[in-house]
Amino acid sequence: MSTIDPRITDVLSRTFKVPVAEIHPEATMDGLDMDSLAAAEFAVVLRETTGVELATGTLTRGTTLAELTAHLHAAAGTAR
Amino acid sequence: MRTPAIAVTGLGMITPVGNDTESTWDGVCAAVSPARTVPALEGCAIDFACVVDGIDLDAAVGRRTAFRMGRYVKFAVLAAREAVADAGLDPAGWDGSRVAVVVGTSSGGSAHLTDQALVLERRGPEATSPAGVLLTIPNMPAAEIAIEMRATGPSMAPCTACSSGVTALSVARDLLATGQCDVAIAGATESTVFPIAMTGFARSGAAAHADGDLSRLSRPFAADRAGLVMGEGAAVMVLERAADAEARGAEPRALLAGTGATTDAHHPTSPHPDGRIARAAVEAALRDAGWRADEVEHVNAHGTATVRNDAAEAALISRVYPHRPPVTAPKGVLGHCMGAAGAIEAGLTILTLQRGVVPPVANLDAPAPGFDIDCVTKVPLVRPVGRAVSHSFGFGGHNAVVALQRP
Repeated sequence: MSTIDPRITDVLSRTFKVPVAEIHPEATMDGLDMDSLAAAEFAVVLRETTGVELATGTLTRGTTLAELTAHLHAAAGTAR
Repeated sequence: MRTPAIAVTGLGMITPVGNDTESTWDGVCAAVSPARTVPALEGCAIDFACVVDGIDLDAAVGRRTAFRMGRYVKFAVLAAREAVADAGLDPAGWDGSRVAVVVGTSSGGSAHLTDQALVLERRGPEATSPAGVLLTIPNMPAAEIAIEMRATGPSMAPCTACSSGVTALSVARDLLATGQCDVAIAGATESTVFPIAMTGFARSGAAAHADGDLSRLSRPFAADRAGLVMGEGAAVMVLERAADAEARGAEPRALLAGTGATTDAHHPTSPHPDGRIARAAVEAALRDAGWRADEVEHVNAHGTATVRNDAAEAALISRVYPHRPPVTAPKGVLGHCMGAAGAIEAGLTILTLQRGVVPPVANLDAPAPGFDIDCVTKVPLVRPVGRAVSHSFGFGGHNAVVALQRP
């Protein structure tokens, strides 16, 4: 079962005012109405709040929140 | 060229006393300033201001877009929504190619430029916002309103310091008069309550320094006036040719009868000593409106509560309008909303015309000795007003005056 890192949910709802009800593991940037500028800002805020560097190309229009969570955890694991 | 009559059919405001037009009007009539200490200004020589409060701006603006908007842009978007709804217009149905957006500002997104500079210095380029430029450039209020409302006609951001709002109304009027649009969304916005701006303001000599009750600090036209108190906010109006408004059955709030503008070309901050250039702006507006000075029934003054502005403006008013029409100065309540002030005061002037009520100048018992003007004090003056003017004089010497009329 895929889950979403709570920090992703937090940034989406706080900074981007995405309703929590819409935040589910299979939701994509496109599906959440996050355009390219919003996605770029999202990447910066995530990096600043988690300290995890997302590799270029990790966050695309089709990236799901489950995939993003996996990236976040994998990158954090690598960093450790 | 004989310009067509221009109607104001919609009005929206967000100010330190209210997040819409009605609450702003009530707050201004109550004549109590909300000036208070602002936590973000802790440690600044001036750590207080009149600020917009009691609203979650990001939630109000809506999802996915607030992150790319400066605080001043959010104000403008919210005021524009109110104005367009008030005009009975629906952007979903209109021909956006005939809609212009003219929304001015003085400082634009300087607060956000500062934020980004700090992030760059402390955290490096990767930490800066991809929206950093958008947060800063002063055309974004006009652009975001155009995007939201699918307004594809001309759009721009007049920047004439504290007269930007009146300049915007004047430019919008001209776009309508010359047929470049059928609807103009026009006004101004400002938010400059952040440490760097407030520090510069403290050092400028124009600012009032804390002295007892902050709500009593902004005292336009008073003998003991102490300088200006910072405010913030926005006002946006919908303008149409009066014939078009009538054709669609819209009830105008007021007519924009005339505008006048001049430039002191003298000194960046000091008004021209004999006041004749500012007076010429008033005379130009009256000429444009086709009014004699003695037909003006009310003056909504710039009244900043600085020693020099109020002395120069009182002299101007008593000379141009010797019949002593009632004068108000909303900055006693709102503080000086800088680039937005002219638009907010034009909005209040329109409400005075509609309601036959002139709000009092807050914190004033009587004008300073030697000021031969009739300031409304203590309580609102209930009196029908058919013709009124609003003065705006900006740093840099930008003088702009708008003449407004009951339909």
